Amino acid sequence: MVKIRLKRMGQKKAPFYRVVVADERSPRDGRFIEEIGTYDPNQEPSVFNINEEAAKKWIANGAKPTDTVNKLLKIAGIL
Amino acid sequence: MSKKILDSKKYIVYTTICKEKNFTGGAFMEKEKRQKDADTLEHIVEMSLLYDFYGALLKEHKREIFEDYILNDYSLSEIATIKGISRQGVHDIVKRCSKELERYEDNLHLIDKFRKTKESVNEIHTIAVRVKETKNIDEIAKIEELSNQILEVI
Repeated sequence: MVKIRLKRMGQKKAPFYRVVVADERSPRDGRFIEEIGTYDPNQEPSVFNINEEAAKKWIANGAKPTDTVNKLLKIAGIL
Repeated sequence: MSKKILDSKKYIVYTTICKEKNFTGGAFMEKEKRQKDADTLEHIVEMSLLYDFYGALLKEHKREIFEDYILNDYSLSEIATIKGISRQGVHDIVKRCSKELERYEDNLHLIDKFRKTKESVNEIHTIAVRVKETKNIDEIAKIEELSNQILEVI
């Protein structure tokens, strides 16, 4: 199954996240299929950037967002 | 790219290729619920900061599970399958790790110090840039005060 996950990037002490589409079985080294957004909590207010069309397309095709991504998408008003 | 401020305090949401009508979706969500979602996200950011500072102190087995849960956004049951332990077991380990990391912060305050220092340094930077333009040396006193504050924190 394909999942939409949040993936921690960024330097130490400066968390930054990507929203990625990845196969459920993809290894922990983090290979992913497509990046569809970012989430940057370092700024005030936090900045969430998402490609809505891609997100909707993936979800329509059966990709399952994790709880966390689900929350982000809800905040963005996409779900 | 369009831009919309959904919750003026917490989030700016940028959506690319977005139709105007889809924009209002978030606004209809009850405020409380949205606040809860925002809190969950904040919790994750907070945990990954704790991990940055004290993660190295966790035992390897526990650290891997905590990494998968907090940094890689795997679910409890996914981790349980990967590691061959029960979902409850994973949940306990994550919980225990969070407690352990929080205890380190309660005693060492490294994150707190880091934040305060960063704030002061940013302020000093802003003043320095301004002084460069205005040549107003009176502002140097503020820099002195800020540097004293930093020394107190560390």
